[in-house]
Amino acid sequence: MHQLQPSFENAPERAKPLGRAIVVTSGKGGVGKTTTTANLGTALAQRGASVALVDADVGLRNLDIVLGLESRVKYHVLDVLEERATLDDALVADKHSEKLFLLAAAQSREKEEVDTEKMRALILALRERFEYVLIDCPAGIELGFRNAVAGAEEAIVVCTPEVSAVRDVDRVVGLLGNRFRPQLVINRLRPLLVKKGKMLSVDDVNAILRLPLLGVIADEPEIIVTTNKGEPLALRKDAPTGAAYHAIAARVAGEDVPAPMPVTKETFFDKLGALFGGKKA
Amino acid sequence: MWILKGDSYELLGTWRVALLRGKGLGLELVFAGRELGEAFEELEARLAERPGFYRGTSALANFGNEPASSDVIARLQSLLIEAGIELRAVTGSSEIEALARDCGLTYESGEIHAAPELERRRALRPRGEVKLSESARSLVADFAGARADIAQRRRRGEASVPQLELAVQPEPSEPERSRAAPLHVVEAPPPTLYHTGTLRGGQALHHSGNVVVVGDVNPGAEIVASGDVLVFGRLAGVAHAGAQGDEAARVFALDLTATQLRIATFIAADGENAPRVRSVPEAALVRDGRIVIVPFDQIDQLQERGISSV
Amino acid sequence: MSSRKIVITSGKGGVGKTTTTANLGATLAKRGKRVILIDADIGLRNLDLVLGLEKRIVFDLVEVAEGRCQLRQALIKDKRFESLSILPAAQTREKDAINEEQFASIVDLAAEAADYVLIDCPAGIEAGFRNAIAGAAEAIVVTTPEVSAIRDADRVVGKLNDRGKPIRLIVNRLRQEMVRSGDMLSVEDVCEILSVELVGIVPDDEEVIDTTNRGEPIVLDETSRLRPIYDKIARRLEGEIVPFTNFDQPGFFGRLIDALKAG
Repeated sequence: MHQLQPSFENAPERAKPLGRAIVVTSGKGGVGKTTTTANLGTALAQRGASVALVDADVGLRNLDIVLGLESRVKYHVLDVLEERATLDDALVADKHSEKLFLLAAAQSREKEEVDTEKMRALILALRERFEYVLIDCPAGIELGFRNAVAGAEEAIVVCTPEVSAVRDVDRVVGLLGNRFRPQLVINRLRPLLVKKGKMLSVDDVNAILRLPLLGVIADEPEIIVTTNKGEPLALRKDAPTGAAYHAIAARVAGEDVPAPMPVTKETFFDKLGALFGGKKA
Repeated sequence: MWILKGDSYELLGTWRVALLRGKGLGLELVFAGRELGEAFEELEARLAERPGFYRGTSALANFGNEPASSDVIARLQSLLIEAGIELRAVTGSSEIEALARDCGLTYESGEIHAAPELERRRALRPRGEVKLSESARSLVADFAGARADIAQRRRRGEASVPQLELAVQPEPSEPERSRAAPLHVVEAPPPTLYHTGTLRGGQALHHSGNVVVVGDVNPGAEIVASGDVLVFGRLAGVAHAGAQGDEAARVFALDLTATQLRIATFIAADGENAPRVRSVPEAALVRDGRIVIVPFDQIDQLQERGISSV
Repeated sequence: MSSRKIVITSGKGGVGKTTTTANLGATLAKRGKRVILIDADIGLRNLDLVLGLEKRIVFDLVEVAEGRCQLRQALIKDKRFESLSILPAAQTREKDAINEEQFASIVDLAAEAADYVLIDCPAGIEAGFRNAIAGAAEAIVVTTPEVSAIRDADRVVGKLNDRGKPIRLIVNRLRQEMVRSGDMLSVEDVCEILSVELVGIVPDDEEVIDTTNRGEPIVLDETSRLRPIYDKIARRLEGEIVPFTNFDQPGFFGRLIDALKAG
């Protein structure tokens, strides 16, 4: 445990109650955990909360890319855990949101090198200074997963409307148990495909998962673009996806806001399909 | 299973592979894959269990690839005659065929019915052969090997669920013996495990006894019980009832859409891929050598009729 | 000819390892090869699901490793093909239920009965990944043309190089219209970053999700544009020089047409 020195200008005041530590997980890879972590964190910070994002995917770090901060990372989680750097050294201020900070993962290290107890202590230290600590969990259910979960008190589970994703997420929810009060974000929904019966619906997914639903995000090409460019969509509050993340953030914060659902208009991909498939919506 | 021998009880052991199987109007005595002495003991015990019950029926002796001799046939016949059963025919390898000729018995060729099929019954079916659909038939061959292996493991004494340890009371010493009645070992039934909450993929419940789940069993989850399995919710994973060999075990669910069902050494899976809408709670049980599914209100009727496998 | 043991890996999850394993395996089987697919993702098994074989699982990889059954009893034969079988992973166990030696010996055993053994690797670079590559003699790395996927693929390539296994690359889920608009990396970019021999380019196809949900590999669909693509990959694996489909067509209509049709 380090002595915490609020030495940089945007340092939040020490809040009396501990911040909330939420792990964003799924089991299945590629469903959008990192994108969700980045966007939810951005939305929460835009609403005025102090947020720390922790990338727990040692060796396969990506949260920094999604936020466009890869060139600014000087120290990572293992540097802090192994006491080569302080939290202050390692926390990277976000480019776009004032109260958002990133603690990056190590790229050239292994997950086995993380000490679970130290990780737990690190998250606790972060909770003492941030209102929200979001932990981006690696894929799988191995040690990396267990380390990411250590120190968290809540969980957000991300799932895509596909049978294999639902199976994997179900496994993770089983492993988490009741303690984490997991809530669900369904990602990459294509309303038109659901309508055509070629994709699972929200009800199909939750018939098995039976979790409280935070919101549903539609699949849009913009998401790929923005992750490649490092500009989370949540920065565009008025665009549908950005608004959806803000609604999710509001719900996480406890506001009585309805769960965002994608509008059943066609997405860009659907239009292409319709144009050439000869079938109209 | 307890046998009355003289005026005390003896533990015979749990039933292993099905020995007596109801086949339409007759019995099939399955010696295939079994040690003959053991099989005879079991047969004697079964017949002694219900004297007179089988009187008037005929039986087919299925030796499979086991060898038999005319002595064996003679022994079998005398045993059956005592119970009022006629040995109608024998079946098995070509040696058996030769033996049948020598003993003046009818030899039946043809495959032994192996793996069971999942049957949907809205109305009660009469006894008799049920048609297998094409996809169902294709599962038969698949499971035969696996089922044989589970049967083998059962014979070797391995079970999916640990056997109960029975504590045996020590013999009373001389002076006590004259005072107290001899102590009997009583097998207490194992407790039923109640699980409240949904069983998620990757979770497994293994229990000696019955298992009740108040909640769903998701795909990828597994229940293995030596007794019955009852799911007060949707069963979508794999359930194995009667895992120590009890073919009378059943699987119940409010919504029975298991990935796979197993009872004792029988395994079955739904041949169709489309999920069906279920409107009533159902039970799966073994009947006529296969797993069948009936609506809950018809279970009693099914067990009244004729000879079931237990 | 000795059999080939190939692990399909990526590092990043969700880029299409399982779908690739299933479809490539099916394609090789259709071409007359004896193929055994092994799901190495213990605890998060999906290969059985993607092939629609989940109801027929009786024994799994861990039970074979523990000697509780024979390999041939655990193998599930896919009836739609002449010679395709899969060895499912265990669902109720963890990845430490098996070690590298055990896995490697099972792969060797499978190799005695097959021309191709394809191993579906779990996501990540932890123990599950290490077990999966222990059994293989070659690797196919699957990536999508996105920065995070490429970065992870790069890490994996590094680890495979350390073990001296020949590596080939499949670029999956290409959306050419996004490449053209500069929103997605081109295949050339990807190959340059990873410096690995390219063996396939698979365009994005919205039918894939539905087919995996239904358990019917897309190469079974004769009208699917992905079928000839996987066929080309199979041929390249066999050593044939097959030119890559040119997804780059000039003009406005060319751009839109690319998104849906491919040759």
